[in-house]
Amino acid sequence: MTSVLTPGTGTNGASAGAGNLQTRVAENDRLFQQTGHLFGLDKLERKETDPGTYEAVWHILLNICNTGWAVGCQVAASPIAVEGGDAMWTLHLPTGECICTSRGITGHTGMLAAFIRTLIEQGYENDPGFNPGDIFENNDPHYGGIHPMDFDTAVPIFYKDELIGWIGSVTHVQDIGCILPGSIGFLNPDCFSDGMPVTMEKVGQNDRLFPWYEKRVTSRTRMPDWVMADARARLAGSFTIRERIIQLVDKYGLDYYKQVTKEYVEDSRRYAQRRIKTQTIPGRLRKSNFKDLAMKGKRVILPHQDVDVLFNLPLEVTVGRDARMALSLAGVSGTVPFGENINPTALASILLNAFSHIVGFDMFSSGTVATYDLELPPPGSWANPHPVDYHVASGVAWAPAVMWLSSVYETITRSYFSRGYLEEVAAGAACTMTAEFSGISQFGMFVAGLTLEQASNGGPARAIADGENSAWCIYTPQADQGNAEVTELYFPLMYLGRGLEPDSGGYGKFRGGLGHTAIWMIKNSPGVEYQCGCAGIRSKLVGNHGMYGAYPKWPERGSYAAGTNVKQLIDEQKPLLHERGDPDNPNMDKYIEARVRETDLITPFVTPEALHEYDLVVHHVSGAQALGDPIERDPELVRSDLDAGWTRDWVARNINRVVAKYDEKAQAWDIDAAATERERAKEREARKSRGVPFREWWSKERKKVEAREDMDPAVLEMWRSSMRLSPKYGEEIRAFWQLPDDFTF
Amino acid sequence: MPEYNVNELERLIDGDLPWTRVQEIMKSPKDGSRFQKWVQILQSRVPWEERILLPLTPHLYVVERAGGERVVKCTCGQEFGDYRVNWKLSALIHVRDSEKELGKIYRGSEMPEAEWVQVREYYCPGCGNQLEVEAVPRGCPPDFEFLPDLDTFYSEWLGQPLDRKVEFADKTLDTVRGWQA
Repeated sequence: MTSVLTPGTGTNGASAGAGNLQTRVAENDRLFQQTGHLFGLDKLERKETDPGTYEAVWHILLNICNTGWAVGCQVAASPIAVEGGDAMWTLHLPTGECICTSRGITGHTGMLAAFIRTLIEQGYENDPGFNPGDIFENNDPHYGGIHPMDFDTAVPIFYKDELIGWIGSVTHVQDIGCILPGSIGFLNPDCFSDGMPVTMEKVGQNDRLFPWYEKRVTSRTRMPDWVMADARARLAGSFTIRERIIQLVDKYGLDYYKQVTKEYVEDSRRYAQRRIKTQTIPGRLRKSNFKDLAMKGKRVILPHQDVDVLFNLPLEVTVGRDARMALSLAGVSGTVPFGENINPTALASILLNAFSHIVGFDMFSSGTVATYDLELPPPGSWANPHPVDYHVASGVAWAPAVMWLSSVYETITRSYFSRGYLEEVAAGAACTMTAEFSGISQFGMFVAGLTLEQASNGGPARAIADGENSAWCIYTPQADQGNAEVTELYFPLMYLGRGLEPDSGGYGKFRGGLGHTAIWMIKNSPGVEYQCGCAGIRSKLVGNHGMYGAYPKWPERGSYAAGTNVKQLIDEQKPLLHERGDPDNPNMDKYIEARVRETDLITPFVTPEALHEYDLVVHHVSGAQALGDPIERDPELVRSDLDAGWTRDWVARNINRVVAKYDEKAQAWDIDAAATERERAKEREARKSRGVPFREWWSKERKKVEAREDMDPAVLEMWRSSMRLSPKYGEEIRAFWQLPDDFTF
Repeated sequence: MPEYNVNELERLIDGDLPWTRVQEIMKSPKDGSRFQKWVQILQSRVPWEERILLPLTPHLYVVERAGGERVVKCTCGQEFGDYRVNWKLSALIHVRDSEKELGKIYRGSEMPEAEWVQVREYYCPGCGNQLEVEAVPRGCPPDFEFLPDLDTFYSEWLGQPLDRKVEFADKTLDTVRGWQA
């Protein structure tokens, strides 16, 4: 599987137009295997002989890609691309390896490289052939796409009849034509419900999309104007890049371009490998991780989806003596009857996202891929479904994968901590709960799609400071919640509130960055549906692990009210709903009367009926994970959070063990330092008193495990599939709890 | 390659450096002597004499005893045994697996469901510090987060081999096998 993403290019110095690209792909692999250097480049001649030009051209290439991004995002019409910039443009070698990328959704870098390589490996060079002006596209998870709403497009670059490279691009479209409107198809039961496929197709030539492409988009998506605008955006950005690359080759010469672009890829491999060797420790890192998707009793599409499921998302990272990383998902659980299964190519590709954040962010390209190996997950798991169940859904395949990716951050940075690079440590990531609306807009037109709220989580806690509030996103380095006014323009919504959510970053010495909560009122619409979607959330579990003794962030829950008295409250100028409020007594319960009032719904869900004028939605966007013992948190930081309304006194008192008093006159909190110290000493003693020796607990717990005591059926089914799919993992569980050899859950 | 003096690194570690300076450090190539200085700083802060071989967490270290054994040790001096055995087996544990117990941390609409998740707190028996928290369903063995390959690190990456080599292997299950069910 990793060979799909392993970089390499043609024979060093060979003319791209002269050879068969399939042969060159194989030759690249051979050279890498034999020499350990991509393309066999043991020397970076262009870099060594003229480093100034080498750096200058690199930055020109980056700027060209970013120009493509800027142009493309303005040609697009959907808020996802225009306002959120949820797109990316990339430059590739003739054999597919990515040279550099624009800003945007960097998780697609490997997928675009794999897409081009697959075109070559499957003989497209001969039939239908690669010609100037061709346009190829894929969004099909069976062929390496992650999920159908992300369209991967490739356009070849020819220079005087020679194919010298490719431009890749991706945008996330507003509606993909799956059963429920929008793009976050977590409810899809199978691939036939995932929406409009484009399966490794030539979709245009002579720089124009074929006419039947638009016809298909028109008949198979609900927002064809936006979907087509995205298609044109991908091309506009790609053609802009192509034009500039040809100008660059005119200036620097073809030989220079061909040589230096390969050197950039090999250079990025060396950079990432150096960083791993400088910052980590060889050895084995492990982290368990789980995610629920509880749909029992809710609105689903097919009867067999009336079920709760639990994903097992285990991670083992081995850092070898050669500073290569090997990653494994041994123990991963089985496929699910929802749109949350991912193919291994996409999974390996999104690893680049984590690497771009925490390992190699200089000269980011396919070269980084050559520093890690991802063991092929067991067939039949959510991470490698197709060999066993070819028809699984992948409507939002990212959902479990992103939770797993969070462990990559945490485990690798544990190694950074040991090495002393505390400034690089990141606790686990936030969760991703999406909001989609579909119905009649304020303009009397049908509208469906995603708001941008979810693209601005809190950032993970650092080992030296709290995480950033509402300014981080695991799937893009460009976190952006978008302007409220723009969301109000696209959807029939009015913001009654948008503010940081107190205590949403876990509890630790350093807390994760806080997330935020949006309060929407339906406005100027005869009816819209709200999909509180899962792009990586936990609702029955807690938000993640904490790190180094911190408590995880609380679960994601949903709130809405239908048939409200909000108009009356407005007329009478009474308080409205502007924030979620206290978890024990939410503001919606305090201030709003309604026919339906839900303040603690297990997510994800789709409202069972349309929402109407003055109905309300409270949508939370998660903060990230905390780090360190919460009673080691500097009382001054607690005071500062209390003053800012970023923590509640219940948490300060019961979790951080801070003794604080609100001074009504000064309208500020005071900390009693001596009492706080006494309170914390008391808590340490209390821990020693309530804590039991591990072995004592193990002895009792193993009996409960063997008896399957108080274990939800979803938990049992998760363990069964994990142990079946990864027998060694199963053996380890049996050995740890001293269970019989034939024990299953 | 930049180098930082011990005083500045102490301020970095303690969170006392201005954020702008931290950003400069993050953007620069990494300083090659960081590990040695990091260990030097930590060694000067702990109240015991054993050599720190590797910091594992803010409170736990792999140390070398006088006899050459490598054990996990807390800042307070509490020892947790062979570093190749998950130190959690020598910790105190408190598990929140009921609504009542979870309710001491999470409230109302922030409450997880006990049949889906246990919140396991690991405490140091010596000082009562909360060393790790796990959130896992029943049946999950404790995470052995980090098993370092110390001999490869010291001999091949740092070029300073340790006096006595030990096998790089996870010994946790060997310990558990010795327990009476």
